[in-house]
Amino acid sequence: MRALRREVVLQVLLLLCGLVVVLPFLWVVAAGFRTQISLLMGDFWFTPSLAAFQEVLFSKTSAFLHNARNSVIIGLASTAVSLVAATLGAWSLHRMRWPRWWVHLLLLWALVLQMIPPVALAGGWFVMARGVGLDNTLIGLILAHATLNLPMALWMMGVFVRDVPQDLVEAARLDGASTPVLLWRVVLPLVAPGFAAAGVLCFVFSWNEFAVALNLSMRDTATVPVAIAKFAQDFEIRYVQMAAAASLSAIPALLLLLVAQRWIVKGLTLGAVK
Amino acid sequence: MWRWATLSPALVLLLALGLLPVLNLVVLGFFDVRWADGRASWSFVGTRHYAALAGDALFGASIANTMLFALGAVAGQMLLGFALALLCSKVTRGRVFWRALFILPVLMPGIVIGAMWKLLLNPDFGAIGQLFELVGLQPVDWLGNARIALFSVVLVDVWHWTPFCFLLFLAGLESLPRDVYEAATVDGADAWQELWHITLPLMWPTIVVTFVFRLVLAFKVFDEVYLLTGGGPGTATEVVSFTIYQRFFTEDRAGYGAAMAVAVIFLIFLMLAAAAAARRRVQAA
Amino acid sequence: MASNNVPLGRRMVLGAGGVLAAGLTRAAFAQGGPQARVAPITIVINQSPWLDSFRRSVEQYERETDAKVDLDVQPFAGSLEKQRNSVRASRGTADLLVMNSGWFAEMYFGGFVEPIHAIEPGFRLDPEVYTLGDTIYFDADTRTMTPRGRLMALPIAPIVPLTYYRADLYREAGIEGAPLTFAQLEANARRLHRPPRMVGIVQRGARGPHTVAFDFYPYLYGHGGSIFRNQAENDYTVTLNAAEGRTALDYYIRLARECGHPRTAALDQAEVIQNVVTGRAAHMLTVVAAWSQMDDRDRSAVVDKIEFAPTPALPGRPTAPGLGHFVGGVARNIPDDRKRATVQFLAWFQTKDAQIALARHGGMPVHAAAYRDPIAEDRRYRWMKPLAESLRHAVNIYQFPEASEVIAVLELGLNRAIAGEITSVVALNDMARQIHTVMAARGYRTGQAEPLR
Repeated sequence: MRALRREVVLQVLLLLCGLVVVLPFLWVVAAGFRTQISLLMGDFWFTPSLAAFQEVLFSKTSAFLHNARNSVIIGLASTAVSLVAATLGAWSLHRMRWPRWWVHLLLLWALVLQMIPPVALAGGWFVMARGVGLDNTLIGLILAHATLNLPMALWMMGVFVRDVPQDLVEAARLDGASTPVLLWRVVLPLVAPGFAAAGVLCFVFSWNEFAVALNLSMRDTATVPVAIAKFAQDFEIRYVQMAAAASLSAIPALLLLLVAQRWIVKGLTLGAVK
Repeated sequence: MWRWATLSPALVLLLALGLLPVLNLVVLGFFDVRWADGRASWSFVGTRHYAALAGDALFGASIANTMLFALGAVAGQMLLGFALALLCSKVTRGRVFWRALFILPVLMPGIVIGAMWKLLLNPDFGAIGQLFELVGLQPVDWLGNARIALFSVVLVDVWHWTPFCFLLFLAGLESLPRDVYEAATVDGADAWQELWHITLPLMWPTIVVTFVFRLVLAFKVFDEVYLLTGGGPGTATEVVSFTIYQRFFTEDRAGYGAAMAVAVIFLIFLMLAAAAAARRRVQAA
Repeated sequence: MASNNVPLGRRMVLGAGGVLAAGLTRAAFAQGGPQARVAPITIVINQSPWLDSFRRSVEQYERETDAKVDLDVQPFAGSLEKQRNSVRASRGTADLLVMNSGWFAEMYFGGFVEPIHAIEPGFRLDPEVYTLGDTIYFDADTRTMTPRGRLMALPIAPIVPLTYYRADLYREAGIEGAPLTFAQLEANARRLHRPPRMVGIVQRGARGPHTVAFDFYPYLYGHGGSIFRNQAENDYTVTLNAAEGRTALDYYIRLARECGHPRTAALDQAEVIQNVVTGRAAHMLTVVAAWSQMDDRDRSAVVDKIEFAPTPALPGRPTAPGLGHFVGGVARNIPDDRKRATVQFLAWFQTKDAQIALARHGGMPVHAAAYRDPIAEDRRYRWMKPLAESLRHAVNIYQFPEASEVIAVLELGLNRAIAGEITSVVALNDMARQIHTVMAARGYRTGQAEPLR
């Protein structure tokens, strides 16, 4: 009986916290179905309308589907680049014989890089991209996002890589496995949870990144956050269209979360505890 | 040979895309760039930009605000996130559901969070104001009052990122060994003692990792402020990213903006060095 | 001091030799024939309430001429970025730069815009096109914007502030006529002030990229004040803290405190307009571009209740709204065929027919004839006549590329004065001193007035 009462109290507390989290979110979704004036007047009741979604998806001045395609490509590709570079790099730094100062220096630099405001780097990236003809291409943004997320991925993968049992590695070596075979057959399966966790985080961060995308993209390469920012105009913040676009933009991340939740949690559990 | 081969992808990104732009900023910081006849002319100004930084009221305010913001927001997120994780770890049913629910805010782009809370907090139209009125409170000018504007921005950031801390903490709590708790119950420890003497020490590594992780991101805050306050009122919510953006891009003072960015990177170095030194001391003691 | 304020709205180009640009367009197409299509062009433009009308005009142009035009729509903050990126590259991607009053000086001074006659020597500016404070001209030698310079651009959107007022409340209170003088505006705002449900006037006092300063210009110039003595003559003596400036700022602050919004120092443009469309304010001075929101049932609770007037002035003085307009210039670093194609579009865009069509699409024409068209009598377009009057007197506030530094000084100083942190006298003297420092450091001929006491 006591256990039941405790459970009920806890559930109610959770529900209250859940409301604080969910109500603003639902409010945004609902705002997408309203008219601007009903939103501004703060009317509680409203007649739902699909106009904003239609405008976001199909109007001639909006290229939301194209932006979403760009965001998906940039998100997936930059995540792949970050993960590959981070996993290999982490293996190299933590499990191969490097001078200690070199390992520390690189990791410190990664940490500093992670803390530098991205706007400070964007100008330099733009000049570099133009220099090699990668401006106004998705590749430029993919590399930029990969760099932005690499320190985080490097750090997370480092935690997992250090945990691969040495005897497994030696056993594989005795079997005559070369480094690529070792990495592919032995290491990768062991670090898979971390791989998934870091991957989801990289993707979500890339999907939501705004400042660099604003600077490095043109019309054809603009991402979803840049498209959403267009609704914040000088004379009017078009909240309704913005809300509709935001609701749509949350869908991929939401799907990802539902599908991969088990992996993320497992990865973070292991990663966070070590 | 494999040593280099495995490191090279990360090395290329860290150096070519990380170090090069920073070196570019370092050089740019000693010059003034002006455009005439479609061409740029660079003139060497020595350390004049750095000297000017000292007298730049906006820069001083933004450094102070960013520190306050980062510490305040991260502290709030960690406390709330921890409490929430504790709650969630104690329930027997629906844990997966709550976990999925609480992660929602992290999925939203920062600019959307900024725009949405700007409207929610608006004292004339916002839902928060209406809520206050409903329970008989005076509406508060969250973003327009210079004294509480930074606090409001911190609140919004807490809403945005508490779920992230929650997720990490919950993951940590779920992996704690059960037998220690069972022993404590046998010894008759109450809930507070259990928290203080068992949970917190065991969770310490997770707490440190979460703290560093969030602090690093909080230091870069830009998107939310961009729409929420634009740095105002006055300089109340001016943050480092925003000042650099304004000087470098909006005002097109590339040299001065670069000097500012370099100064910020130098400050970050100092902070990290201080943190490392402090850690060594603690370990030695 | 008032000479800064020369009302050179629309200049008449004399002589029967003025070939209408429409003729040029047709001639060009006649030569090329249907096979030789003009080069496709890209227009970089920012998202705005008038974008939709511009887009429809572009589509009309494409239908009528078979040309191909791409619109690269950017967020307002991103548009300057993109244009800078493009014009500073060795080969630009942007052909027509749609430039705001905040940055066309940077583009002219930087040598990024090709003078139109360097592309098409036969181009004739339609004499009835507004020259908007002569900002479409630039003289690189004297670094001034006067008709003595070369034609650099054509106006795209003639944006100036107007007074928006609640005609329904005027009728209820028995107030007659529009608020054309500062005394009328103040008296009417006080009469209609019923806080907290209704404020007499809502002003934009927040510090922003160009926020409170832009709101203050009609007050400053309407009172006969100015920031510089005479930019057209390169005289950058700072006149902000003269007696007129003080009267203007005191008036602005008095309105804010006694019949204005309690949060004036924190309001930006979007919030000011929100106050009016939700029916909480009786007056605002806001750019004409916001008109389209007022009568839209999805975006406004005051449909058909708003009337428009030129911004107020002292009795006997003309209205003096500060320009926040857009002009379109051709980028210099693009191939010749695209330059010519861009000029062809501009030539078409400035014609009377195209401009009337633009008005029908909901845009703001830049051609005086469009304001005489019957469409200007239409109730839906009741802002057209006040706008036409305003455009004749519109003031170009800045003619030099470092304006953003001066604006930053004004934004902080005005905001602090409105918030009550400092007095108007301290604010004006302070700002004048700082502006003088900026101009002196950049090598402009400048000086200072006696400080106010």
